[in-house]
Amino acid sequence: MNTLVKIEEGRKKGIISFLKSLLEKGIVTQALVPMRVPTGTSFAYILTKDPNILENCEPIAPVMPIQGARIVSKLTKKGPLKGVTAVILRPCEIRALRELVKLKQAQLDGLLTISFDCPGVFPLKSYLNGHREQMDEVFWQAIDKCELEGARPVCSICYLFSGELADLEIGFGGITSDAFSLTPHSEIGEKALRELGYEEASLEGRQEYLAALREKREIKRKEFFKEFRSQVEGPEGIMSVLANCINCHNCMRVCPVCFCRECFFDSDALKVSPEDYMMRAERKGGLRFMPDTLLFHLGRMNHMSLCCVSCGMCEDACPVFVPVARLFALVADETQNMFHYIPGRDLEEPIPYLDYQEEELKEYEQSYIEEYAP
Amino acid sequence: MEFTPKIIYFLCAWCGSGGSETAAAYRLKYPENVRPFRVMCTGALDPVYILRCLIEGADGVVVSGCHPGDCHYNFGNFRGRRRIAIIKRILDSLGLDGERLWLRWVAHGEGKKMVDTAKEFNNYIIQKGVNPLSNRWDT
Repeated sequence: MNTLVKIEEGRKKGIISFLKSLLEKGIVTQALVPMRVPTGTSFAYILTKDPNILENCEPIAPVMPIQGARIVSKLTKKGPLKGVTAVILRPCEIRALRELVKLKQAQLDGLLTISFDCPGVFPLKSYLNGHREQMDEVFWQAIDKCELEGARPVCSICYLFSGELADLEIGFGGITSDAFSLTPHSEIGEKALRELGYEEASLEGRQEYLAALREKREIKRKEFFKEFRSQVEGPEGIMSVLANCINCHNCMRVCPVCFCRECFFDSDALKVSPEDYMMRAERKGGLRFMPDTLLFHLGRMNHMSLCCVSCGMCEDACPVFVPVARLFALVADETQNMFHYIPGRDLEEPIPYLDYQEEELKEYEQSYIEEYAP
Repeated sequence: MEFTPKIIYFLCAWCGSGGSETAAAYRLKYPENVRPFRVMCTGALDPVYILRCLIEGADGVVVSGCHPGDCHYNFGNFRGRRRIAIIKRILDSLGLDGERLWLRWVAHGEGKKMVDTAKEFNNYIIQKGVNPLSNRWDT
């Protein structure tokens, strides 16, 4: 049951009144939405039962200061919330959340997830240092064509930008600018739409519009990877990209799928004796401090690149402008392709590390020639 | 001066190191610069140790364990194979030479195969030369 919601005073107000009616009609008991922090310029999620507070919320923020999947994980890790919670998440946040559900770090019970055609977000640093009012305006204009000028680099090559994994999908692409579409993708979404009393409408041209855009992005993605790979390839390339890394591990802390309570790279396993450092320094002729920069990044890639949703949080959090998200997107594209795995796509699809096939990956085994004569 | 590579050979406790025992019984020799390490299972070998070897000075790493289907823990080597495949793919995609990591199954009785693998890999790495990551101080 697809629905078109006509709006008079702009899409933002339209979405807000849709959210308010969800609360007022008792379809959801509380809502978790982004909102501008009253004393600041950035955004934070707010959990509220009050429709009047929703009046001032920013359902679609132009930046992503925190990954929504982390918030939902925090809320539901020990069990579902009472009642039904409406939560607005970007497509990458939904995918991360579904990965966390697979990893038993979050629950979808009692959630009404709402997602939308995401145009991308501005890098947090450029938003906080820039002309914010102007950028807000640019952002809401960009929503019409799902394409944001000056977005995070990984946002501009994202090809999974529509919210079809959520219970309710808000659509802008291929829809006239005086309306937005609502498409349910689950029973709870359908029930909500019925109770709101929206009429069914056909969304002609929307799927074609999205498919065309997706194709365009995929081409852009391939081109980007080709170019970026030439920059980072080889020991020289990778070390030049990671040269500025200060080992703050911020990228790991903001990552939605890095959920481990204690990271191996923060653990005592890497706090070794002074003799060990001396030995390594002698072996290499000298040792960089802090050590283990490359090990940290490669180790993290190896641990979570299969679940990486390319949200770009890591790059936003990096204080020294290391293109972490682009690097991870490049590697994740390779490793996920090995298993034809798209994180978050299917809740029943196991994460490749937790699964195996008896006959597979023969090309990674070294074949043996019986009579090897050195 | 001829280049003597540093090679780490991870052997699983049941088949790989069994292979080395068989090799010993037949008095087979493998190059002395190949350093064997016994791990409980190829699936128990955390990829971070392989990475650490390759970053901190080893020129190559070989992993040997039970043939698929023979694992003492039923599916340890299947998981190990996925891990090693992923790590090879990551290294390749960043141009860090995933060929410096080999995976070859060695059963308990295959002493010759274990020794041959060590020799073959040693020669392969000698041809390849020094691991460029091993003597960088800025890693």
